[in-house]
Amino acid sequence: MITIELIQLMLLDGVMAAITAIGFAISSNPSRKAILVSALLAAFGHGLRYVLMQYGMEISISTFVVASLIGLLSILFARIIHCPAEVFSFPSLLPMIPGLFAYRTILSLIKFMQNTDVVKNQGFIMDFFHNGMTTLFVLLALVIGVTLPVLLFPKTSFSVTRRY
Amino acid sequence: MTPQPDTHLPSIEQTADLLSDIACELMSSGAHTMRILQNVSRMAENFGYHLDLSVFQLSVIITITDKDDSAKRLTLNKKTKPLLINYTFVSDLSTLSWDAYDKHLGYEEVKRRFHEVISQKRTSRWVILILVSLANASFCGLFKGDIYAIELVFLATLVGFFVRQEMLIHHVNLLVTYTTSAFVAGMIAGMGYVFHWGHTPEIALASCVLYHTPGVPLINSVLDIIEGHVLTGIARLVNASSLIVCTAIGLFTALLILGLDKL
Repeated sequence: MITIELIQLMLLDGVMAAITAIGFAISSNPSRKAILVSALLAAFGHGLRYVLMQYGMEISISTFVVASLIGLLSILFARIIHCPAEVFSFPSLLPMIPGLFAYRTILSLIKFMQNTDVVKNQGFIMDFFHNGMTTLFVLLALVIGVTLPVLLFPKTSFSVTRRY
Repeated sequence: MTPQPDTHLPSIEQTADLLSDIACELMSSGAHTMRILQNVSRMAENFGYHLDLSVFQLSVIITITDKDDSAKRLTLNKKTKPLLINYTFVSDLSTLSWDAYDKHLGYEEVKRRFHEVISQKRTSRWVILILVSLANASFCGLFKGDIYAIELVFLATLVGFFVRQEMLIHHVNLLVTYTTSAFVAGMIAGMGYVFHWGHTPEIALASCVLYHTPGVPLINSVLDIIEGHVLTGIARLVNASSLIVCTAIGLFTALLILGLDKL
């Protein structure tokens, strides 16, 4: 069911993703238009992933779907504003980086190192593998998803800056 | 009649110098290997040369051969500048290479436009500082952090990123810079745990160092490996991973000092 509440949450998610994308785009010094496009793509991508996950889709699969969509759209926008696609593919993927999972992975590793209680340590090992695998698969989904369109349309992705 | 020097055609040395400068500039601005190869080859084509290129992390090697006279050839090995990602350069140099190819621009014209491109100014560091802090704060919001966590992350990023900028200006080792900056940010974000501010101090700690994510080198390394430039790809991957490891070391040193690992 699509409710008003879900739409509101999705929009909030999109706005925060857009702010994140602008901040990370500007540190790689692209043109103004490219910053705008990465904000748009980030809002679209993260909002869509939020909805997909609300409907029960697994995190790495929904990330893969969204990342390949962003890859396709960034080639389209690259043709429109004459700018290489990888300029906005990274900042628009950034809001989906699994930072929380990565943090928990290392935290459980440190706790495992410092603890001597066998029962507790088994829990830490479980945490380590659960969070570590999620981090790894989400990162792989992001990178493979966004490079897939470059592999499918190699000619287009190298000639977007051609004007004549 | 004395032979007049041809002003239109550049000598092979001049061409090699210009092309290797462009390749180095693209490398240090964060273009992936295939793009560097294609851009520089297009320009060489325009000047009537055939070009072979190897790109490494610290140097670029080009060999250019005259198309009409294969005895005229030159190999040049040039050191690259340290990585400072600048996508305006990548984009504009890519446009320049197509223009040179399509409009048959002369040597002087290409050289002038190349210097025009690389003399553009970067965005002011203070604007970047504020926008990156806002971005990291909204990262915390995306992870469902409450308002206390968001404010704390904003402050931590502001200080941490400032430390990183200052250390980079003073040419401190990159790995030391990342570790120190992550340590400072972690110390500030850890205050939420120490003083029990809000309900999600864990999320503040997790998102306070995310401004260190070396996304561009990571994506470039994957593109390089996929396109067959495995050696360069692995070099970029190792660089990016060591930055991530240094960030983790800095953050967890802060955690151990504050004693938060016992929680």
